[in-house]
Order: sequence, then structure tokens, then C-alpha cells
Amino acid sequence: MWAARRMASTTSASSAALTFELVAKCSTTRARASILTLPHGPVNLPLFMPVATQASLKGLTPEQLEDTGCRLCLNNTYHLGLRPGQEVLDAVGGAHKLQGWNHNILTDSGGFQMVSLLKLATITEEGVRFLSPHDGTPMLLTPEHSMSLQNSIGSDIMMQLDDVLVTTSPDAARMREAMERSVRWLDRCIAAHKRPDVQNLFCIIQGGLDLEMRRECCREMVARDTPGIAIGGLSGGEAKDDFCRVVACCTELLPELKPRYVMGIGYPEDLVVCVALGADMFDCVWPTRTARFGNAVTKFGVINLKREMYAGDFGPIEEGCGCPCCRPIEQEGAMGVTRAFVHHNAAKETVSAHLLTLHNVWYQLNLMREAREAVIADKFPAFAHEFFDRLYPDRKSYPSWAVTALRGVGIDLLKP
Amino acid sequence: MTTDGDVPAAMTFELLKSVPASAAAAAAARLGRLALGGRKSVIDTPNYFAITSRGVVPHVSPDNVARHLKTGGAYMALEDFIERPQQNLERRPPIYDHPSPNGRPLHSFTALPTSLITVLSARRLPAVPAPLGNSNRSVSIFTSTGFQVLTTKDYQAAVEALRPDIAIPLADLTHKELTPTSKRALRMAERTDDWVREWFADQPDTNSPNPIATFAPVLPVSYSLQWEYIERLSEDLISHLSGLAIYDADILPDLTSSTSYGNLNLLPRLSVAVPASPHHMLRQVSLGMDLFTLPFLNAVSDAGIALTFSFPPPAQAPSSDILPLGIDMSSTEHQTSLAPLAANCTCYACTNHHAAYVQHLLSAREMLGWTLLQLHNHAVVAAFFAGVRRTLAQEDGEAAFEAARARFYAVYDPELPAGTGERPRARGYHFKSQGGEGKRNKPGWSKLDEAEAEAKAQATGARAGDVAGGEESKPDADVADALQRLLVSGGIDTPVTPPDADAEELCHKGFAEVDKQQ
Repeated sequence: MWAARRMASTTSASSAALTFELVAKCSTTRARASILTLPHGPVNLPLFMPVATQASLKGLTPEQLEDTGCRLCLNNTYHLGLRPGQEVLDAVGGAHKLQGWNHNILTDSGGFQMVSLLKLATITEEGVRFLSPHDGTPMLLTPEHSMSLQNSIGSDIMMQLDDVLVTTSPDAARMREAMERSVRWLDRCIAAHKRPDVQNLFCIIQGGLDLEMRRECCREMVARDTPGIAIGGLSGGEAKDDFCRVVACCTELLPELKPRYVMGIGYPEDLVVCVALGADMFDCVWPTRTARFGNAVTKFGVINLKREMYAGDFGPIEEGCGCPCCRPIEQEGAMGVTRAFVHHNAAKETVSAHLLTLHNVWYQLNLMREAREAVIADKFPAFAHEFFDRLYPDRKSYPSWAVTALRGVGIDLLKP
Repeated sequence: MTTDGDVPAAMTFELLKSVPASAAAAAAARLGRLALGGRKSVIDTPNYFAITSRGVVPHVSPDNVARHLKTGGAYMALEDFIERPQQNLERRPPIYDHPSPNGRPLHSFTALPTSLITVLSARRLPAVPAPLGNSNRSVSIFTSTGFQVLTTKDYQAAVEALRPDIAIPLADLTHKELTPTSKRALRMAERTDDWVREWFADQPDTNSPNPIATFAPVLPVSYSLQWEYIERLSEDLISHLSGLAIYDADILPDLTSSTSYGNLNLLPRLSVAVPASPHHMLRQVSLGMDLFTLPFLNAVSDAGIALTFSFPPPAQAPSSDILPLGIDMSSTEHQTSLAPLAANCTCYACTNHHAAYVQHLLSAREMLGWTLLQLHNHAVVAAFFAGVRRTLAQEDGEAAFEAARARFYAVYDPELPAGTGERPRARGYHFKSQGGEGKRNKPGWSKLDEAEAEAKAQATGARAGDVAGGEESKPDADVADALQRLLVSGGIDTPVTPPDADAEELCHKGFAEVDKQQ
């Protein structure tokens, strides 16, 4: 009875393995604040999910990752399928046990990596066909394989295997085929999913940049009532205006009481705009990858600490940042790391990469925490103004796609 | 026994227990306590200091050092901080100007937890031999941008500016495995003698609130070639000395057997002698060494080895096999093992993770593998020394220690295992390449065009967990990024290579199936 009442509520909805509770909505934009309760605990949305590709976040211990406030990170099915492999995952008891992470994990389906990395991969109705690079044997990877692997990984959120095409592909017929096939593959994924009571399977909206195709896909996918919904195929080199139009078009059609995940998004501007457009979850390797090249993401922009100008800069990586590298040395757990020290070891000792990874992950998570607080206080437009104001020297330099996208949801960045 | 009041306030060393100076058993294990002026840190000896590379314990960020690394101090090398970058050859090393609220710029620059004490020396451990050798007023050092000359004056000024807790004055060393000729050895002693005298003659301010304790170098040459220098330390300089930095433990019997070195023998002894294994460590303890630097420790972690020895050693039937000092964590036999790296270990890695994870990380070349091994291996060595101290503290400590030492030799393999895993990338400051050597590092990719293609594939088709959302301007940046990875990067990237497995393995791993339609 309790469950039934919850289902009927206007602010929360449950499915077998998650609960989505809407906490607040921005009165101007489509931004929302919510709580997503997954099998390994609740997470606050909007949310950035750092990518621990091979069951490890680039040198950080799970303890350090936990201390950034992260409660949901990504693993890659493709990588875990190759190493350590399904048999080991089954023997160990899944990816949580493997990496000592007692919080939530999301896994992608692995199909995208297959298609983009294997030269002779072709997609057919059965699945992804490719030649084993080692001995040339013809191989087939199906939605069922992906589900089986993700069941062995035990991720809290699994992604369907989809037929991915670059959004900029001019082949409309192929685009339609990919979209429709993704819907059919979702049905196969749902049928093959062995643990729907403890693992959530999300669908992925496809359809390229064609808004009508996206709408059609939304209707088909929503009808299959997965616990959460992802918008896929983006961030593949399309114009940012097109990207925003697709996100806005989808969020308009998606049910309010389900989490909405825009895949592969990580630049701070993209996150803020997508939150305004009504998206809740994001992931990207950029913050952690760029850390390994000596780049720090800060509220004033990205700085490359390998540059000679930072050799004698004894300030924190980012003034006012609350991460363990930057916060004042008097505070609990603070390290007192300076830009000079990071510069000293950038590209030399792995520790510099660890420090920047820690900082960048903290920055991304904190950006979403601040966005959430702004939504709850119903001050999201002011938050967006302040964010762009700090990032750019003047309003003339604001990216036009962001100005346009935000104008569409009631924020005019160029007016106070 | 406490050292007398002449010892600088920088540090006090209390010998809690050592064998009575009977003529026969002159060199003997001892138990002590090192306390630093104005600091809370107290270090019980025998003990060890971690060796840093460029100011960091390799793979361990300062927060993890504070939380999980069981060491009392860190050895640092000045040559790690004073390179001249190509873009700015005249640059004054920034570390000299680093602000320091606690008056210790070396500490502040390296973000080392204040509970750890710092030892500053000119050269890394082990040091790369310099082709040029030393002169009467300088030594050759090896920075990340190449060899440099470091004068005695410059070194002393650097120590004054950086204010480590412990400084080792310059010694004239060859850093080569070959024993120097007597002529060279004599000159080493003479120069070191000059340099150490000069060190104390020029000490500007001995009343600093942040005192620096001097550990005088004792050379890796026989006593007969450096006895004059040692007498100088014992007679003229003893009141300035806080300890000895010993480059070869074999000198200890000569020091302890002489009745005239009474005061010298009350000083703490820091081994910079590069013991190759725990067996050597125990031998040095038995000769009366108090503090150790252990270059093999960072090396075994890089090699994927988890140390497994303990002291006192486990009791074992004589028939059973020799125990290994460590195990190769890269081995696939650990793939599904949920056991800790070493039984009963209480380190962070063993209480939070298991062998299967470390094996996976090493096989995937994830940096965390080396981090966890570092935390574990340092904990094993810390527990080893705690065991040594507990044994020595027993009523019949000396005998108990010697018995346990003999058993350790009988039970454990004298050689550390060689790891089969791939090591982290070697950097230019780690080694000097010799002609005809193979490459130290595996190339990131086999062919440049493949890397380019991969980078482009990612830049144009990025998605979950792959690459950043793209603006049109980004693909180029991503290609540049990927290419940069081939040259140098702050870490190891996720290998997004095609599966290096045959069809059978792919099927076995549940990755895909053999396509029967083709």
C-alpha cells in the first residue's frame, strides 16, 4: 500500500530498485533538485559522475573519492569485460567488491567503445559484429552479452546497448535505423536483464540532431517505463546550439519523476546549461583526464599548471576552493598544496596527477552541489549569471550557444 | 642515558638500551628515542624514513601520507628541487622563496604533514653517478634537466633557506659500486673533513626557533682511510653534531670498539647505506644502526611486489619451504583472491582492499595499484621495526633479538622477488641512460598513426566515460592531448586499445561470442 501511495505522489516515484524524489523546481528555468535513492544509497541531483574506467579513479583511493562527496561513479563495461573479465567479476562478487566501493556504480553498455575502437566492427540487428583483433575470428557482441556482463558487474545503474551513430552523420535513413534498432535492443535488454530488483536499467534516447526523430524515440522509450532515461549520441562534435536543442527537446517530453542523464557531458558550462534545460545527471572523463595533463578546472577557467608562470606561484590551485588540496592549511584534512608544488611534479611524479584529479573531481561535484542549492533557494538564474560572470572576462565573450540556450528557458545572460 | 647539554636543541636522542660496552661485543643493537626540539614528533628507534622523489613519497599524495603512511620522516634530495628549466635557465629555484608559516619551507613546499620530520641531503637515494665527479669545492648533482655543479656554499645556503629538521652536509662520494682506490678514498676523507668543518664555521644562526640538526656523513671507505676525519668529528665538532649519516654500516664495529669515541657513539645513526633487503637491515640493526632509509621499498612497490615478512619471524618447522619476502601481485593466481596482501596486516590496503583488486589494478596499469602497494609495503616495514624494538625491549632483549634474527635468516629467502608486472614510467631524473641500452618505458602505442586515429575516433564520437563533450574546436585539442600522452603525461591513461585477446578468451570472459553466421 505504501508503495502504491508513493507511486501516486506528485513529487516522488519508485521502481523496483530506485526512488526518485523531486525536492524543488526552479520557477524560471527547467532546473530541478531531487534525491535519487539507489541500491547503494541516496544521491542528490543534479549530479556529476566521475569516471573510474577500470574500477579505479586515476590514482585516488575509494576513500579519497568518497571524501569528495562522490556517491555515484562510473565504470566501463567494455574495460571490465576485458579486465578482469566476467568470470573474475562473478567470483569476486561484482565491481563494488572488486574496488572496495560501497556506494553506487553506473556502467555504460560497452557498445560504443566496441564500435569506435574496433576497425572492422559492423552493426547488424543481432549485435555488433567484429573480427577478433588477435586471430581474426568473427565475433558477435549482443545486447544480451552486455546485460549479462553488467549483471556480473552488479552496477546500480546499467545502460542498454544502443546503436550509436555520430550525430553529425548526414545519412538520415541510417540514423532512423539506429534509433529504431536502439528501441528494439532496449526490449532485448529488458528481457535479458536478470536482476531488475537490484539493478536499474536505463534506456538511451537516440535520433541524432533530428528533433522529430528524437521525439519519436522519447515516446517509444518512455513507453517501456525504464527507471531512468538517458539522452545519448551527443557530445560527438555537433554544434553546441544543436546539442542544446536536442537536450531541451527531450527534457520537455520526459516524465518529470524520472532521472534524466545526458551522457558524456563534463565541461562546466555544459553542465550549468544542461541543468537549466532540466537534465539531472552527467558523466565525462575530461576533468580527470585533463588533470593528468596538468590542468586544473577552476571557477575562473582552466589553468595549465605545467606552464612556467606557475613555478613560483605559492597560491592554492584555486582560491576559495574547499577541496583537500586548496582549503586553508588550518582546516581539518587540508594539505596546503600550492600551484608551485603541482607544477614541480606535473608530468614527473604521479602525485601531481592525483592532486589535480582530486581537485577537479571536487570542483565538478561542488558545481552541481551549488546548482542544487540554488534551485532549492529558487535562485538558479542568479547562480547561472554568477557562474558565467566569473568564467569570462566580459559578457561579449559569453558563448552564444549558452546565451541562446539559456534564453530559451528564461535566463538572459546579457541582461542583469 | 641522555646526551649532554652541548647537543643543539634541534634534537635529542636518548639511548634507552644498548649492550654494556664489553670489549667483545662492541657493536650491538640498541633501542633509542629521537625527539625534535619544538615538535611533538618522537621517533622510537630502530626505525626508518621514507625516501621521496621530488619531494613526494612516490604514488602517495600528502593526505594519504598523513592518514596511512606509517613513517616518522622523509628523506629528500636537494637535486630534486633545483633544476634549471629550458625556458628559464636563470631561474632561482622557487622552493627557496616558498612561504612557510612554520618556518620550514621544505616542509611547506612539499605539503608534507608536519608530524613527519625531513632529512635533506644533496643527492637522491640511490644517486645517479655523475660523469664529471666532484671538485675541491663542489659536487656534481643530477637534476631533471641534467647535471649541475653544486658548491659547498650553495648547498649550505640551500639548507639554511629550506630548514629541514635534519641536514646531511656534503660528502665527497663517488656513488659508484666499485670501491674507490686508496688515493681517491683519502681525498674523499680530506674533502669531507674540509667541508664539514666549513659547514660549522659558517653556521650563521644557531638560535633559530626552527633549528636544523646536523648528521655528519661517515664515508663508505675503510676506517683506516678516514680515521682522522672521524677523530675530528669526535673531538672538535661533537658539540655541533646531532647524529651521523652512515654510508656503509661496516664502519660501525670500528666506531664502537674505540673507547675514544664515547660521545660519538651516543649520537643517533642514520643509515644511508642502501641495504638491499631485510636481511641487511637486521645485520645493520645488530651493528647498532638506529635509522634507515630504504630505497628498495619504493622499488618493490613499482615492481608490483607486496612485502610479506615480519619480525620476529613466524615459527616454522625446519623441513618446510623457505618463505618469500614478498609476493608478486601481478600474478594471475591472485585474480579472485579476497585475501589481504599479507595475512594479519592492518594497513589501509589490506583492511579496505584485497589481492584481487591489486592484481586487477596492476594488470590494468592503474596508478592506484602502486599507491596501495606503497601504503602496504611501508606498513610492513614499519611493523618490522616495531617488532625489532619490541624484541630489543624484552628483558633479555639482546639475546632474543639475535635468536630472532638467526631464525629470520633461516626462514626467509634472502632475495626480494622480482616482479613480473610492468613498472610505472621511468622519468629522466631516475636514471642516466647508457649507450646501447634498450628502452626503459614501453611506448604508449605501437604506431603514431594508430594513436592519431584513436584520438580522432574519440574526439568525434565521445560518450559515456570516453571523452569530453565536444565543442567544434575540441577535436584538435583531443588529438593533441592523445599525442601528448605518447610523449609525456602526469600519469598513465586508460588503455583504450582493442582487446588483446583471442576469440576463445573473449568468449570465456563473456565479452562476445563467436559469430556463427560468418
